[in-house]
Order: sequence, then C-alpha cells, then structure tokens
Amino acid sequence: MVFSETKRYYVDRRVVERMIATGSGSFTSYFARLRSDTQGEVEQFVNAFTVNETYFYREEHQLSCLTKDLLAARLRIKSRRDAIRIWSVPCSTGEEPYSIAIWLLENWALVDDHEIEIVGSDIDTAVLEQARSGLYGKRALMRLSPSLIDKYFAQTELETWKILDDLRESVTFTQVNIMEAAETRSHGQFDVIFCRNVLIYFDDASRRIAAENLFENLAPGGFICLGHTEFMSRISPLFEVRRFADAVVYQRPIGTNADD
Amino acid sequence: MPLIRKVRDTATIASPDLLAITEMFKSGTADERWVAARAAYDIADSAKVLGEALARERDARVREAIFTSLARISTTECVELVLPFLRSDEAALRTGALDALRAMKVVVVPYLQRLLADSDSDVRLLACELARSVPADEATRRLCALLDSEHEPNVCAAAVEVLAEIGGAEALPVLARCEERFRATPFLAFSIKLVADRIRSQSPPLSV
Repeated sequence: MVFSETKRYYVDRRVVERMIATGSGSFTSYFARLRSDTQGEVEQFVNAFTVNETYFYREEHQLSCLTKDLLAARLRIKSRRDAIRIWSVPCSTGEEPYSIAIWLLENWALVDDHEIEIVGSDIDTAVLEQARSGLYGKRALMRLSPSLIDKYFAQTELETWKILDDLRESVTFTQVNIMEAAETRSHGQFDVIFCRNVLIYFDDASRRIAAENLFENLAPGGFICLGHTEFMSRISPLFEVRRFADAVVYQRPIGTNADD
Repeated sequence: MPLIRKVRDTATIASPDLLAITEMFKSGTADERWVAARAAYDIADSAKVLGEALARERDARVREAIFTSLARISTTECVELVLPFLRSDEAALRTGALDALRAMKVVVVPYLQRLLADSDSDVRLLACELARSVPADEATRRLCALLDSEHEPNVCAAAVEVLAEIGGAEALPVLARCEERFRATPFLAFSIKLVADRIRSQSPPLSV
C-alpha cells in the first residue's frame, strides 16, 4: 500500500487510533511495540489501514458478465469433472463472495450441473472473522430485493441479518497477502478472480508483483475482474483485454501454463 | 446446494537457488524460465543472471517477469542492465524497460540527466516519462532544462505532458519560451498553452 502526502491525515488518524487502543503514551513507545510485534500489533496495524466498505451486489454488471459470458467461456475449455473455482480477493467482510454465491444460485441456469467452489480472501483477519460470522446491517443489504433478503438471510436483531448457514458454510475464507507469492500460490488456480479496488492503493512496483501473482492464480483462459477505475493494461501486459456486453475484464491467455 | 468447500494442500515448494535459475534460464521451457524469473528477486547476486537472460529471452511473459524481478532488486546494477533496452527496436521491450525503470524510482534519479541529454531523441522522449517517478522538484528542474534546449518537438511534447502533472509555477517562463520557439508547430504550442493555463490555475503567484 502506498500513501502519498495527501493521505497523511488518513495515516495519522489510524496511527493515533492504534496508540490509543494499545495505551501507548508516545509514538516512540508505540513504534517499539509495532517493531517487536507485541501481542500481534503488526496484524492489528495492517487491519487498521485496510479499506473495508462494501455491500451486496456491488458492481452488479460484472456479476451479469460472469453468468452471461465468463462461465460459458470457461466451460468450453475445462473438464466437466473439475469444479468451477471463483476467488474474491480482497473479500473484506464477505459481501462479495456471498453475492457471487447468491447471484449464481439465482441467475445461472446451469448452477446445479456443476460443482462450484467460492473462496474469499483478505489480508485483514478482523474482516475475515466478520465474513465468517455472516452478519450484516441494513446498508450492506441495500441493493438486494426484499425477496432475496427473505430467501437468503434471517433477521437476528432489528437492524441485523444473518446469512443462511447453508450459504455461509459453502464459502471458504482465508487470509492472504496478494503481494506474497507463497501465500497466493497455495490457493491454487481459479476460473474467475474478482480483485476489485485494491490495486489502486499500490505503487507501480507493487502492482506488477500483484499482477504476476494473480496471473499464476488464474487457470489458462481464466478471467480477472477489476474495479471500474482500474485498468490491467496499465499495470501489466500479461493479460488480454476482453470486452463483453456487461463488462470489460482481463484474461490469462489460453496457451500459458507458467506455474504448472 | 451446488456450492462446495475444499481443503487444499498448502505445502510450499522449495525455491530454486542461483545455480538452478541459471540452468532454468539456459535450457528450461518458457514455464520454467517464468518460475526462474519470478524466484530470482529473492536470490543473492541474481541481477547479472537476469540481465543475461533478458538479452536472450523471446517470450514476452518471461521478459515481463524478469523486468519485475530487476525492479524488485532495484540496484544500480539493475538500472545498468535495463537501460540498453530503452534503445531496443521492439516497442514491447522499450516499454517493459521503461516500466521497470519507473518502478525502481530513486535508484534511477542519477541516470535521468544523462538520459535526457542522450543523442537519440527516442531515448530522450522515454526519459521524460521516467521523470514521473522521481521527486517532483527534481523532475521539474530537469524537464525545464531540457525544454530550453530541446529541438525535437515530440520530446518537448513528452516533457510538457509530464509537467502538466508535476509542474508548478516555476515551469511557466520555460513553457513560454518553448511555445515561442515552436510557434510553427501548432500541436506543441497548443498543448503548452493548455498546460500553462492549468498550472496557472493551480499555482499561487510566484513571490518576487
């Protein structure tokens, strides 16, 4: 992650929050705590800097593209015996991987003909815990129709809904730093990766590394969906641009098996 | 429900050493060379091997990984290894070299002046792009110096484009002189006017 001078307030605020949370009387004492990783402070520090605001069915056009075009393209070249693997990274508090699951169940006619594995990953362990809990407030559900909410959620409190256990237990959540190849490689190859609104926080060098890691995580011919302000062609020439009716996505060329 | 969960084998694969990547680059498949290129950044003294591999490599994907590893190691040796590719006849190699150098940031700064004064106008043009990655004050000073002496309009246009993003009021007199010199080159005079207007609208007046 790169924070320019214009983001100093953002950094200052989070450092002060961590100093208060740890009872550090000065920056020097907090910095010593951070350097020695006392009580897992490095992880807490990283958690404080990640941006976790999202909601169900965000950038719905990419979900449409998934069921109208991407899965059909994948099925043309992959074995019917192999599960379709979809990766949401970073997944924040789980809205995206659960959205993918609900979307597939609601909108893909072939959903019952295939095994589908959905993995949600994030560097922030606190949001992963929230994702696993499957509890959401009203704002996170604002794009879902009342009938979808009734179908896939149970209201637990006045303003809180819990995603159904069947659905909650069908998504795997893991911690990953997409800059670390050893961590990303252990997740295997996917048919489709949703990696939205994270590369914009990286500098040029980090983007290149992340792009190469994600390239390895895509099966040849697999697709990666970025946020609407992100353009892979400005980051790396490894991927081919694919323009579909609902979205522009990036594809690992079919004839590449680099990490096999 | 068709959705499934699987437990994956998370065993890690041992990283190759310098000898192994040297061999992989020499006689490996494109996939093996990709693995070697990606592993190299974490292996001591691998820059020279990467440079030699880059000179031989024909696979665009492997080249990209080599450039990334050189950018990650980011030493003056890496800069020296990448610089010759700015003169390549292949556009993809020139772009790859430029992107890698840009990612190396401050390590490139000492080379910028030499590149901006290169006898090859294509190299000078790319060097303007490289200025984006160095501190703004330093980049502005060097681009302004270039604009005052550059005779090639396309190089000036590249410098003006970068100044549009990083330049401050100190660039305005230089832009005015350049506009005057290239009055007969309408596209350049036009872009200078646009950039100067933009800088003026964003900068406080210079104190006298």
